[in-house]
Amino acid sequence: MQNVIATPDIRATTSPRAGSLKFLIAGVLIVAAMAFAVLASFQDNTVYYLTLPEFSAQKAKFAGQVVRVNGPLDQASIQLDQKTMVLKFNMKDGGIVQPVVYKGVVPDTLTNGESVVAEGKLDAQGVFQANSILVKCPSKYEESK
Amino acid sequence: MAPTQLADVGAVALVASLAISIYVVIAALYSVRAKKPQFLASAENGIYLIAGLTTLAAAILEYALITNQFRFEYVATHTSSDQPLLYTISALWGGQEGSLLFWAWLLAIFAAIVLIQNRAQNRELIPAVTIFLAFTEGFFLLLVVLLASPFKLLEFTPAEGKGLNPLLQNPGMFIHPITLYLGYVGFTIPFAFALGALATGRLNDMWIRTTRRWALWSWLFLSLGLLFGMRWAYVVLGWGGYWGWDPVENSALIPWLTATAYLHSVMIQEKRGMLKIWNHVLIMLTFILSILGTFLTRSGIVQSVHAFGVGQMGPFFLAFIGLVVLGFLYLLYARLGDLREENELHSLLSREATFLLNNLLFVGAAFATLWGTIFPMISELVTGNQISVAAPFFNQVNGPIFLALILLMGICTLIGWRRASPEKLAHNFGKPFIAALGIVIALFFLSIRDLAGLIAFGIAAFVMGSLLIEYYRGIRARVRQYNENALVALLNLVQKNRRRYGGYVVHIGIVLAVIGITGSTLYQREQQYNFKPGETISFEQYTLTFEGLQMTPAANRDIIAARLKVTENGNPIGTLTPSKDYYRAADQNTTEVAIRSTLREDLYLILAGWTNDGTATIKIVINPLVTWLWIGFGVFICGTIIAALPDPREAIVRAPSRVREAASAA
Repeated sequence: MQNVIATPDIRATTSPRAGSLKFLIAGVLIVAAMAFAVLASFQDNTVYYLTLPEFSAQKAKFAGQVVRVNGPLDQASIQLDQKTMVLKFNMKDGGIVQPVVYKGVVPDTLTNGESVVAEGKLDAQGVFQANSILVKCPSKYEESK
Repeated sequence: MAPTQLADVGAVALVASLAISIYVVIAALYSVRAKKPQFLASAENGIYLIAGLTTLAAAILEYALITNQFRFEYVATHTSSDQPLLYTISALWGGQEGSLLFWAWLLAIFAAIVLIQNRAQNRELIPAVTIFLAFTEGFFLLLVVLLASPFKLLEFTPAEGKGLNPLLQNPGMFIHPITLYLGYVGFTIPFAFALGALATGRLNDMWIRTTRRWALWSWLFLSLGLLFGMRWAYVVLGWGGYWGWDPVENSALIPWLTATAYLHSVMIQEKRGMLKIWNHVLIMLTFILSILGTFLTRSGIVQSVHAFGVGQMGPFFLAFIGLVVLGFLYLLYARLGDLREENELHSLLSREATFLLNNLLFVGAAFATLWGTIFPMISELVTGNQISVAAPFFNQVNGPIFLALILLMGICTLIGWRRASPEKLAHNFGKPFIAALGIVIALFFLSIRDLAGLIAFGIAAFVMGSLLIEYYRGIRARVRQYNENALVALLNLVQKNRRRYGGYVVHIGIVLAVIGITGSTLYQREQQYNFKPGETISFEQYTLTFEGLQMTPAANRDIIAARLKVTENGNPIGTLTPSKDYYRAADQNTTEVAIRSTLREDLYLILAGWTNDGTATIKIVINPLVTWLWIGFGVFICGTIIAALPDPREAIVRAPSRVREAASAA
């Protein structure tokens, strides 16, 4: 790799815009391919994020569909079966109560969490079967309030 | 001093710094307009003064934290008297107010260093550079003065503070924000010079050369920030992985991607006098995305756009970003005529073409990631419903882009500048291709049959082969020419052209990291078991015997640990103790995973819970090859340092600047 002083000949070359078209075409193709990849995988991977009242009002619309629901956690309702690692709790916002069932490692922040984001879907019994839960703290880097 | 006096001094220092930064902008502008250099000297002194005052403010806050002055709201909400000193110190950047002050302080120090470095050079650019640095500094000072004062006092003095979030009480989290912020803030300097070049019309590559080290060190720190963040997620968050495409992680990755594109594309401008506009745009994007990253992490907007209005900071950041982009576009438009390319691209089979493709892919990955990160906010604004995008989106889009980039890394080293002949190419590609094919066939017989794994490992082998050949050629040339032995030749080779061979070391590090990422992403296995005391369970080649739970109180927490005796293929490999720490002040648990690392795989144990009869629930995760990710990062960092250290050749280049300018003008 030469340094710049050693290669003034390269800098001095000028030529008509002969090669730029193929670069333009190649560039457009690549950008289009990336845009297509974004759009194609976007469709399959979007999940509605709803507050508990929004979810409660549109239960029919979201039946059987994976959604993320954010609701206040009713601390008194938490039941954890340590043997089976099945966690049951309610989200409660005013008069709306939504039972949630989750199986897996329980987040450390659950016992003093204020609200929960549960991802999953509603089953036929009206219980929200969560496959992941996130206990809300304002930011990973902000202290939890 | 009493807390009230301390807080007053700190607050006054910040207000004074804000006033001075406004003065610096005006004085530096006036010095150019009225051609009165004494005003520029005064403006520069203003920058030094701001550096002094913000240092004082940061020192006061740090002092208040260390001495537990809970009258300070910030101290009361981010420390407690029983937490280790290390995390009391790091509370300076652990919360919003403190971290904004930290930003302003770092920028003030950087600005002072830049002015000292350029006392005798680049004088034409300095007024514009000074104006922009003071403008950005003023913006952050405005935030800490108006919206997020770290010196706010409570009406009373609480007996005890709430303590730093236990999740942040980890050595990795001590260093992670510092490195991230050094990176974010550092990119302000190259962008300031890019603006200076546009403002003054001195559009040769001097601004790039002057700030090459700033860009490289900033990039290194951003990389370190990502590394420490990943390491923290791996050992502290305890979900078995290190990268979750979380918005906060993404907001550090996005500027890293555009900065990486920039580091590559400036080489084309330096060598061939091309891509001038593009380079300006890339460094502008990197700066803006760093600001955006700070904002996304700090404002809570990630959770909901409703935080935008509540936090008050949103409009300020939006206005700042808008002003910077508009100002930049105006200057760029005004100088379009002077930014003509000095050369033409001729062949798609050339190193220049691989650099172009590299840039497209990096920027493409940055935009895809940005889109996925901010889409939930956009959708909430437009439709009222937040639609979020899950990790598979990022993997599906970025996975192929990153693999293409890695492949390009190998092709680039094998392909010549300007125009490569097909015969030469076939010759250069032969050996690495055979190496890759050999590896793929070997892996196939070792029963790795999935396409993604074979492609990823094959590409890694191809790139590694091409890099090793490059070193081999360089060494052989020196051995023949100077009669050196191979090791001396290697050292001299790197020493004589640190930028190039340091860059190749970075690439080797990335290949190693790719091996780690591929292994741990595609072949992770996990299983959850309930262990009764004394019970033994086998998982693959490991046998785990649960010896029981034990509780140990520590200064600010209680540690509940599960002791597991582990053997591998019958050979004892020791006792692993995954635990949960209960932090008393915060009333919160953290998970402390137990990891047994080998070059082959990590055995990763998580204590998920326990019952009163002493049964423990343990999640066992096997992460193949993940150690190579950390090794790769280490190599990567060494390579970056090699490339960033002074290069003897550059001293020669720097001296006769007039000669070179004459050459580039020709």
